[in-house]
Amino acid sequence: MSVAVRPAPLRVGGAQRLIHRVVLYGLVVALAGWVLGPFVWLFVTSVSYQRNLLARPFTLIPPEITTENYRMIFGLVRFHAEVQAARILPALLNSVIVAVAVTTLNLVIGSAAGYAYARCAFPLKRVSLYLILFTRMLPTIVLMPAFFLMLRSFGLQNTLTGLAIAYSSFTLPFTVWIMKSYFETIPRDLEGSGLVDGCTRLQVYRRIVLPMSGPGLVASGAFTFMLCWNEFVIAQVLNSKPTTTTLPPIIAGMMGQANIDYSVIAASGFLSALPAVLLAVVFQRYMVQGLTAGSVKG
Amino acid sequence: MARSDARFGALMSAPALLIILVVVAFPLLYSLWMSLAEVNLLKTSGPALEFFGIRLPLFRFVGLENYIRVFTDPLYWSSLARTVYFVAAFVVEATLVGLSMALVLHQRFRGRPLMRAVLLIPWALSRVAVGILWQGLLDADFGALNGILHRLGLIDSYIGFFANGFSALNVLVSVYMWNQAPFATVLFLAGLQAIPEDLHASAAVDGAGFWRELWYVVLPALKPMIFLVVVLCTVNGFLMLDLTFVMTMGGPGDDTTSVAWLGYKTAFVFFKFGPGTAILYTLTVLCVLLTFVYQRIILAKFEAEA
Repeated sequence: MSVAVRPAPLRVGGAQRLIHRVVLYGLVVALAGWVLGPFVWLFVTSVSYQRNLLARPFTLIPPEITTENYRMIFGLVRFHAEVQAARILPALLNSVIVAVAVTTLNLVIGSAAGYAYARCAFPLKRVSLYLILFTRMLPTIVLMPAFFLMLRSFGLQNTLTGLAIAYSSFTLPFTVWIMKSYFETIPRDLEGSGLVDGCTRLQVYRRIVLPMSGPGLVASGAFTFMLCWNEFVIAQVLNSKPTTTTLPPIIAGMMGQANIDYSVIAASGFLSALPAVLLAVVFQRYMVQGLTAGSVKG
Repeated sequence: MARSDARFGALMSAPALLIILVVVAFPLLYSLWMSLAEVNLLKTSGPALEFFGIRLPLFRFVGLENYIRVFTDPLYWSSLARTVYFVAAFVVEATLVGLSMALVLHQRFRGRPLMRAVLLIPWALSRVAVGILWQGLLDADFGALNGILHRLGLIDSYIGFFANGFSALNVLVSVYMWNQAPFATVLFLAGLQAIPEDLHASAAVDGAGFWRELWYVVLPALKPMIFLVVVLCTVNGFLMLDLTFVMTMGGPGDDTTSVAWLGYKTAFVFFKFGPGTAILYTLTVLCVLLTFVYQRIILAKFEAEA
């Protein structure tokens, strides 16, 4: 897989090689600008004053830097929209609770099922696998009218439990799928030796297979957390109360208000994006492996 | 052995399947039922599903009435046309940009691991953050892109990217592409790494330049991956909803209203669950078909190669 030790192609001569390098690094810089530029600008606006963003001529480097936007969000300075801003931290906590709960549930239940699909022959295996694949491509929003009435009947409307249940509908199939393709890459020999030693199949799974499955668990865990953390429309629909909803609907609600400066919204947007971005950058290798395997394997 | 295998497999998969039945299969059927019923959210007496003291209203069955209403509404058809345009433009853009980024990242250069790590940033951002971020770039009062173009003397006054319907729709395509292309790149990189080294070498011996090698060696080898990306992007394009919500709310007018947004609006802004679920079900049927394509053609192909 690694191509790092590939010898340099011999055909490229000195001058040609230089041109090749210049073009390549030019493209790399362009790519970095395209991928990172907008995100960096979000941060720049979040530490700027609105008046400088509106100023003309426009300047890429802000003339003043301030943490006031962040202090407003954290309730450290009083301003006219402090009621809305005060909802951000509780919503952040709600986001953490829902994302952690769903991720934990997914890892426990989803990896068990993934293992069954990778290793066992059991009744309805093909049919249920097909159902899971279909669920992955389902428009989740079509389930929401049903969820709306179901949660209302169960008294779970506007609760974090209700939201976590709804989130399992689109995360669990992914987890099963990613874990299934991960377990398929583990050689079977070790499990066989475990069985010979008298372990039950469940013991083999827990003591031998799971400890070897770090990369797969990290990939599906990080992905699930990210999906929940970023989810917006379902939270907006099912948990309309500001006190029981997650971060995205709160921030989207602020966006629509003319009296809140863009710089404040940029600060809350940057803050809300940070956990998922860090997760993706830190666990990039595992997520890429897990998602690639999950996409190309049947 | 075989019987204990079956029992173990069934036990291990049972919790997940049970949850999927309760949170996916049942709501899917319940929504289907609502698309065939006259749903009045305030009047929930009448026929109902009852179990364990919990009561789910069934409303009045009206057959295909909701679907007929949807299919005779010109807004549905214009939304479908816009959705098809959106999906086509998005698939082309995401595939081309995703492939270009992969071709660059497949080269050897200093800082490649770092670039590959930051590649996923646009994809990891929530759509709300993506919407905020692009507002900062495109806004008609303080957008950085407007600022830069103005500074360079390319425009006289700031452009209202969202003022015109067609422009707003295209902006939506590009922003969604910015967000999704990294995933296509990841898949293309995996495909590029799987191309045997001797194919490149023989192309080099033949003296093939970059474009010839791309056309005759790389693209044919990437064909299954390109097809996979196209199908996944098609599904994502049809289902895209949150970015519309954050950036345009389907406007100006109905100019960025897609089928998904129309269904959302009908169900959750006007609270007409009957027609709303009917609209969303037309999308669901489409996804069933695409799942079929995905499973039959793509997964079967990768399986055969593995």
